[in-house]
Amino acid sequence: MKAFYRITLYALFLTTTVIISSCESFLEVDLPKSQLASSAVFEDYNTAEAALLNIYSNIRDKGILTGTGQGISNTLGNYTDELVSSETPNNFSVNFYKNSLLPSNTTVNGFWNASYNQIYAANAIIEGTEKSQNLTLEQKKQLQGEALFIRSLLHFYLAQLFGDIPYITDTDYKKNSSVSKTSVAVLYEKISSDLKNASELLPLQYLDQNRVRPNSITAKALLSRIYLYAKLYESASNMASSVLNQQEIYTLETTDKVFLVTSRETIWQLQAGVAGRNTAEATYFTFTTVPPPQVSLTGSLVNSFEPGDLRRSGWIKTVSKNTAVFYHPFKYKENNATTVSKEYSIIFRTAEQYLIRAEARVYQGDLIGAKEDLNKVRNRAGLNDTSAVTQQEIITALIIERRHELFTEQGHRFFDLKRTGMLDSVLGDSKSGWNSTDNLMPIPQSELTLNKNLMPQNPGY
Amino acid sequence: MNNYSFYKDGKALYCLIFMGMLLSFSSVCAKNFYRNNFFFIQQHQIQGTISDGSNPLPGVTITVKNKTNSTAISDYNGQYSLSASPQDTLIVSFIGFKTALILVKGRTKVDVQLIYDTTTLQEVRVNAGYYSVKESERTGSIARITSKDIETQPVTNVLATMQGRMAGVSITQTTGVPGGGFDIKIRGQNSLRSEGNTPLYIIDGVPFSSESIGSAQTSTSFPTRTSPLNGINPDTIESIEILKDADATSIYGSRGANGVVLITTKKGKQGRTKFSINTSTGAGRVTHFLKLMNTEQYLKMRKQAFINDGLAEYSPLDYDVNGTWDQNRYTNWQKEFLGGTAQITDLNATISGGSENTQFLAGGSYHTQSTVFPGDFLYSKGSGQISINHQSNDSKFKFSFSTGYNIQSNNQPSFDLTYDARSLPPNAPALFNPGGELNWENGTWINPLANLNTEFKSKTNDLTANTIISYEISSALSFKTNLGYTSLFNDETRVVPSTIYNPSLNVTSASSILFVNNTGRSSWIVEPQINWKKDFESSSLDILVGSTFQSQRNNRNVQSGTGFNSNSLMYNMAAARVIRVLSNDETLYKYQAFFGRINYNLYQRYILNLTARRDGSSRFGPRNQYANFGAGGFAWLFSKESFFKNSKWLSFGKIRTSYGTTGSDQIGDYQFLDTYTTSSAIYNGITGLAPSRLYNADFRWEINKKFEVAAELGFHQDRIFTTIAWYQNRSSNQLVGLPLPGTTGFNSIQANLNAVVENSGLELTLRTANFALKNFSWTTNINLTFAKNKLVSFPDLETSPYSEKYRIGSPINIELQYNFKGVNQQNGIYEFEDKNGDGLITFPEDKQTVADFSPKYYGGIQNQLIYKRLSLDFLFQFVKQKNKTYPMGPAGMMSNQQQRIVNSWNQPGNSTPYQIYTTGYNDDALTGNYLLDESTASITDASFIRLKNISLSYNVPLKHNETQLKIMIQGQNLLTFTKYPDGDPEFLSYGFLPPLKVITAGIQLIF
Repeated sequence: MKAFYRITLYALFLTTTVIISSCESFLEVDLPKSQLASSAVFEDYNTAEAALLNIYSNIRDKGILTGTGQGISNTLGNYTDELVSSETPNNFSVNFYKNSLLPSNTTVNGFWNASYNQIYAANAIIEGTEKSQNLTLEQKKQLQGEALFIRSLLHFYLAQLFGDIPYITDTDYKKNSSVSKTSVAVLYEKISSDLKNASELLPLQYLDQNRVRPNSITAKALLSRIYLYAKLYESASNMASSVLNQQEIYTLETTDKVFLVTSRETIWQLQAGVAGRNTAEATYFTFTTVPPPQVSLTGSLVNSFEPGDLRRSGWIKTVSKNTAVFYHPFKYKENNATTVSKEYSIIFRTAEQYLIRAEARVYQGDLIGAKEDLNKVRNRAGLNDTSAVTQQEIITALIIERRHELFTEQGHRFFDLKRTGMLDSVLGDSKSGWNSTDNLMPIPQSELTLNKNLMPQNPGY
Repeated sequence: MNNYSFYKDGKALYCLIFMGMLLSFSSVCAKNFYRNNFFFIQQHQIQGTISDGSNPLPGVTITVKNKTNSTAISDYNGQYSLSASPQDTLIVSFIGFKTALILVKGRTKVDVQLIYDTTTLQEVRVNAGYYSVKESERTGSIARITSKDIETQPVTNVLATMQGRMAGVSITQTTGVPGGGFDIKIRGQNSLRSEGNTPLYIIDGVPFSSESIGSAQTSTSFPTRTSPLNGINPDTIESIEILKDADATSIYGSRGANGVVLITTKKGKQGRTKFSINTSTGAGRVTHFLKLMNTEQYLKMRKQAFINDGLAEYSPLDYDVNGTWDQNRYTNWQKEFLGGTAQITDLNATISGGSENTQFLAGGSYHTQSTVFPGDFLYSKGSGQISINHQSNDSKFKFSFSTGYNIQSNNQPSFDLTYDARSLPPNAPALFNPGGELNWENGTWINPLANLNTEFKSKTNDLTANTIISYEISSALSFKTNLGYTSLFNDETRVVPSTIYNPSLNVTSASSILFVNNTGRSSWIVEPQINWKKDFESSSLDILVGSTFQSQRNNRNVQSGTGFNSNSLMYNMAAARVIRVLSNDETLYKYQAFFGRINYNLYQRYILNLTARRDGSSRFGPRNQYANFGAGGFAWLFSKESFFKNSKWLSFGKIRTSYGTTGSDQIGDYQFLDTYTTSSAIYNGITGLAPSRLYNADFRWEINKKFEVAAELGFHQDRIFTTIAWYQNRSSNQLVGLPLPGTTGFNSIQANLNAVVENSGLELTLRTANFALKNFSWTTNINLTFAKNKLVSFPDLETSPYSEKYRIGSPINIELQYNFKGVNQQNGIYEFEDKNGDGLITFPEDKQTVADFSPKYYGGIQNQLIYKRLSLDFLFQFVKQKNKTYPMGPAGMMSNQQQRIVNSWNQPGNSTPYQIYTTGYNDDALTGNYLLDESTASITDASFIRLKNISLSYNVPLKHNETQLKIMIQGQNLLTFTKYPDGDPEFLSYGFLPPLKVITAGIQLIF
């Protein structure tokens, strides 16, 4: 027995000595399996590409452009005169519908935080590729071009929602945590210059067959919109032309094909996450029973279409029971998974470029050219040429046309009313909760708490 | 197998002892007979019974004064007999009792009742982790509860057992759903990170990680992710020691900043083999409901809101007022959803015993608890434990092994109905159709009970095993190694079946979702130690050196599946058409340390205790992995000085003080690395990579400096014993997830912040033995803590992200509020103080009134009364604090309100406490309500006095002395006295079930 104890004791001493002598390296741990050092990510095109494509998934699932109810297609539809919310408990759309947003609104906070997170990821791509030793020049151009486009796109939407906002171009958290606002006018300049760079870096041809990654034309499509919003009409019509001149790539489809994956009208769309999935828009907007559980189209929108408008019959669905009649957007039709994905969320499409050029031409005095573009969109919808004659009539006709063409697509209605100064006159009448300060959303309370340079809060909150 | 042989050993020893005793009695008689003859002094036989007033005491030594050879020991019935002369004096002594001197005075029957000697409590050895120390010679601050306190409580969580019983330890229950968690703060909040304040848990020498398991995707029933602490079974605990000051915690270095919780499990004791069976059953209910509006009040509010908003007609969607729903219907939704009774059953059994060299204990327990929600939901927990101690014949080699295995199974609705119970309009439709299926009232509401179909299921298995091997090389030098292993597996699922939707929506099982989370955690620890101990003439020196090597591995795999052919296949991931891996990760944490202790005891009066530790942790970047911590403690037992030695009133007096440093590395793994993480999202066929975090490679340990001075005084043989301690802890180098504005891309970054947080406080404990009579005893234990928390310094607070969160000089648990002024009599909107006088209520200028949520003082009063065989134990817990009222949203919308809101403004000139109703169209009223929830009006007194625990037990008299039968009734949270209007005052999370009141009845049988 004694011998046993002694042996145990020696064994213990021995193990202890061994362990202690090896303690130098004891604290070294390997990277967790799911993580990769950032520097390594940008030394391999496959991983660098994975980092870039993740931003698109992120944009599709979170923040401003997501097709879920949290995105602006739904929320700004409610905020204006496109959609009406059912006042069921926990329906977050109600606050948008009643124009009663508070600085603590989580959806609005999501717009802000998700967008800046996506911008960070884009900036990380730009910085990472610049430092990279192994990526080829072509690869760097592709990655940087897309990242620049993403950065511009998000800043553009943030400016539309919040007004003056910070323009973030790097990943330095020290700098970015005390950053100040940039005025919308300056933002437009910066975004434009980034987009010009992006359109030069990106190729004309899409890298994939379904147009889910932007090409140089996508950057130009956003640029033409920004010029229009900035009232730089000559640049806007030139830029729209450079998109529309690519006729072998882009054509207006018939109304039943506009929103299909294979639509040749699409300039850029966001792919569904899983093969067979379709759009989040279809899932959110579609309902089969009345009363609608979440949101439905307003009667004022539905009734404003001219007779024979194919968009009224093809892009809107009526659900009724007895005397109760409700409508939902029916641009995207597949609210369930299909064997092969049939629809993706389209962010840029050709019809908008015609409408941009029409408006830009009208303000430049080219009424004939404007009507020509406007009629392209009308004719496609099964309508006759416009009856508008004067400049003012055409302008009015364009606003109506935009309402009918672009409803519940990424907040176009709100942005159009806002840039034309019509918010108060249109919404002030139709919505009892409307105040003129509702033209801007509240900056998240937490942002103001953490960064005083973002003060003051937007008026009215 | 081993068990069996140890058990046999035990029996054998038991027989030996018994035989020995028989022999000793016979020899007493023999000797006396011999003496009688030899000295010719008249001797006679004395008999009697020794008791403690209610029970006989076996094993008591009875000697005759000045006659060394005359000795007897009482038997199992407390009876003894010995011979003595009529003039002799008997000396009756027994550990734990005062030695009694009894004059025989010619009697032949002398019954002795011994008085419990509280002074011996000072002889109890207290576990201090790497060493144990005699209570009287302790230099550090250690609070303690034992199995006696735990047994009286019908609770399943280890933290619940300590609630209200320890000075300086504040514990709050976060949800009443079984399997939920508790929040513990030992001497206040040290770290600015709310998640960086958990203490270190050590079970029998093995660190037990309290980091939450489960996933935010699955454990939605609780306000926080599942806590592994539920795996600790209170039934198996012998004692819990909480180390508080630097002297006690510095030896735990980087992990001691927030205190250390040492849990010692029950061990076998030398003696006969003992069986113990405990069973109880009981019921739990919600303590407080909110006073909500009834249908009449509610509809009146709604209709007024439409009038106020100038709306002439109700919209087709306003079902509650437009006639779609029955306007005379009334349902008390709180009663409907939370008014159930939770059934509780508990069973545990142990067998223990052993010989002089080997002791063992084996036990098992089973516990189930249902919920107060409608539906069949059950939490159950089963556990087993084994402990074996062995020592060699020469006592040089010692071996101890203990292991515990726990299985928990929990099935809860994944959706807490508390929110619905409070907000649903009181005239909302019936839950069920006459046919018994869920009523959807033509799609005009979402039936809350449909949410019960979304279930949360959790299975957790955990194992803790520990071995201590020690060898005494010489009388001074001994070597010891502590080896430990823990392993934990947690499988959680949450299902969101298509049946939560109105069937008329035609949502099919193709849309049902399954979330699965598998967490695995295993750790090992090796701690070799050498102890050198030497007694000198008037002093003793005790030196300990040791080292720690610890490694912990965490695996987590979170998946979601959707697209099922049938809801009956929904729990099978393989049946899902689309499976997504949300996260799949493995992390490793390594830790090593060297520690030491020097304890010098001079004249048994002056005690110096020095401890130190050098720590290294893989959680820090290469340059910052190591840090040193140390502390010194000193105690002076002045009652042993000559000038007090013969004091009649002062039985014990000690002054102790300590100062030292500890640290904290609770920041999660790999935070210093700049990495990308695989995301679950796929785009264009490629799985994405996302930036993991903003990184900072240079963050370092958080340092906590602790100072304490205390006096411990015992009066009248310690019948009154009091401790007064004052402490001051300063935490600096704050390791924070520095909140960042969203413009940085993330919400936080790990960094050291040169801010100093100070916790100081006064802790008082008082133990009094009010009565110690033959048939009646009454002892009282009081603990009281005055705690103060203060942000001492914070460089550039004004320009930092914390500028509107903290104020220098104020506690860190504050919120800045608007100052509420009342309702404007003209427009009926809440008004607030316009501090900067710009005519607007703006943030942050007007949101500057400090509201402090930390408790001002808290404590407990525990009384134990024993009358003959009846024993009553009760504990009142009290907390002086403020809390927020329950936010119900703007009044007038389609959501119920507190009854008090009926008193609201409806025309100019009205003077009312509540503002104008609105259906949601009155922007000013919405803003008013929003500001109200962030104003001083939302702060209310949430102090309470609560009958935390009451236990009544009766020891049934049985003929067989070795058998004990006890009948018990126990209650938890039975009474609560509070002014707090919004439900239970002890709540932290909105919309979750508050703690329950529980009453159980049980039987304990020992034989």
